[in-house]
Amino acid sequence: MPWDLIWELFKFSILAALVTGVVAPLVGSFLLARRTGFYGITLPQFAAAGIAFGFAIQPWWEATFGNLLHPTDMGDEMHLALSYHLAWAGTFTLAGLAVMALAARRKDGTETGVMAAAFAVASAATILFSQHSAEGDIFVASLLQGEILTLDGHEFEVLAITLGLVAVLLVAFRRELVQASYDPELCKVLGRKRWVWEALLILLIAATVASAVMTVGPIVLFGLLVIPPLVARPLARSMDRFLTLSALVGLVTASAGIWVSFHWDWPLGPSIVVAGAVLVVPARLVTRR
Amino acid sequence: MSGAAFGYRHKPVLTGVDLTVHPGEFLGIFGPNGAGKTTLFRGLLGLLKPLAGTVERRRGLEIGYVPQLETLDPAWPLSVREVLLMGAHGRIKAADREAAAQHLDEVGLAGKQRELFASLSGGQRQRVLIARALMGTPDLLCLDEPTSGVDQPHRTEIMELLGAIRARGPAILMVAHELSSLDRVATGALLVENGTSRRLAADALRSGAAAVYGGALPAPAEDA
Repeated sequence: MPWDLIWELFKFSILAALVTGVVAPLVGSFLLARRTGFYGITLPQFAAAGIAFGFAIQPWWEATFGNLLHPTDMGDEMHLALSYHLAWAGTFTLAGLAVMALAARRKDGTETGVMAAAFAVASAATILFSQHSAEGDIFVASLLQGEILTLDGHEFEVLAITLGLVAVLLVAFRRELVQASYDPELCKVLGRKRWVWEALLILLIAATVASAVMTVGPIVLFGLLVIPPLVARPLARSMDRFLTLSALVGLVTASAGIWVSFHWDWPLGPSIVVAGAVLVVPARLVTRR
Repeated sequence: MSGAAFGYRHKPVLTGVDLTVHPGEFLGIFGPNGAGKTTLFRGLLGLLKPLAGTVERRRGLEIGYVPQLETLDPAWPLSVREVLLMGAHGRIKAADREAAAQHLDEVGLAGKQRELFASLSGGQRQRVLIARALMGTPDLLCLDEPTSGVDQPHRTEIMELLGAIRARGPAILMVAHELSSLDRVATGALLVENGTSRRLAADALRSGAAAVYGGALPAPAEDA
C-alpha cells in the first residue's frame, strides 16, 4: 500500500503511536529510576481490567443512570462512552498503584511477588470481565492484540491532550519530582511538600496509563514505558539527558514499529514493541565497551 | 530541645534529651550501635515528632542536611550538578548555578559538575552532598555519618573541610560512629546510650574512646 494512502487511512493511529512514543518513555524513566519498572507491565493490565469492568457493568449502569451513554447527539455519545471507559481505566490504575505502593511499604522481600501476583490477577480479571459483554470482549481483545488501526480523531484528541499535559507537567516539575523520589528526607528537612510531588507523579502515571491503554492498548504501552528508558539509561549521564534520550528512543521505536508494521503487514502494537527490543542490544553493547 | 523523647509507634527509644546548639559549635553525636543516634538526629531535623518535651528552632533557621550515602539510590542517573541544585530554593536561577559551581570548587571538586554522581568515589560523593547542603547558606549543618565507608585519607579531608566550614559561622551537628573522626574538630559531643543522651565537653573526645565508654566521663558541659 502506498504511504500517502496509509497516511490518509491511518493517520490518527500513526500519530497516536508517535505521541505515545515520546511521552510514555518520559513516565517510564521515572518508573525505571525508582526501581518500579515492573509497574510498566502491571499498571496497563489494571487499566485494561478497568475497561473490561466498564463494559461488564454497562447494562446495569445504563439501567441505573438512564441514557447517560446514549444521548441523542452522536458526538456526545462518543465523548461520554470514551470518558466512561477512561474513568474506569483510571480508577483501576490508581487501585493498582495503591496495591503496589502498599506492597513496597512492607519491605519484607515480597514486593516483586505481590507485583507479579497483581499482574496475574489483573490479567485474569480482564478476561473474566470481558466475557460478560460481547462488545467488551471484542474491544478488549483488539486492545490486547495491539490492533490500534481503528483509532478515530476523537480518541486521538483525548490521547494527545492528556499526554501533552503529562509531558508539560513532567518536564516543568522534573526537578521537584526527582527530588521527592530520590531524597525524600531532604524534602522534609527543607520544608518542601513531598506528598504534593508524589501525588502529582502518581496522577501523571495514572493519566498516561489510562488514556494510552484506552487508545493504543496495553501492548504498545508495555513496550514504550519500559524499553526506551532501558535503552537510554546506560547512555545517560544526567536526569535531563535520560529523559531526552528516552523520549528520542521512544520516537525512533514508534517510527520503526510503524514502518515495520505497514511494510510487512504486522499488527502495529507488537511491531513497536519488537522494534524497541531490537534497540536494547546495541545500546547495551555500546555501553559495555 | 528540652526533656524531649523520641521513638517509633509511640514507643520511646530516647527520653529526657536536653540540648541547645549555639552558632559556631561543632557537636558530635556518638554512641554504641543501636543506642539511638539516628533517632536523635531525625528528631533534631524534625523528621520525627517528639513523643514528649519540646523541640524549638530559631525563626528563619536554615538547615543544611547531609544524609547517609546508602540512603541515596545509585540507580538514578543524576549528574553532580543536578544533585547540587536540589539544595537550592525555588526555581533554579543563574545565581544558583553559579553558587553550585562555587560550592563544588570549595569542596575540591571543581569541574566535576557534568559527571554522573553515582560514578564518583564515596569520599567525593560525600563532598558533593556537603556542597549541596551549603547551597541554602545554612545556619545549622546536620550530617549523618559522613565518614562512613570512606577511606582514611578522604575521611581526613572531609573532617578538615567541615572544620573550615564551621570557622565561617554555621553550627555543625554530626552523627559519627567512630570518635577518632571527631576529636580534632568537634567542640563538644553528645553521647547517646542507655535510652538517653549526655553532653560532653571537647576534652572527653580527646581523652579517647576508652575513657568515654569505660564510664570515666567528665562532667557535662554547662550548656547541656
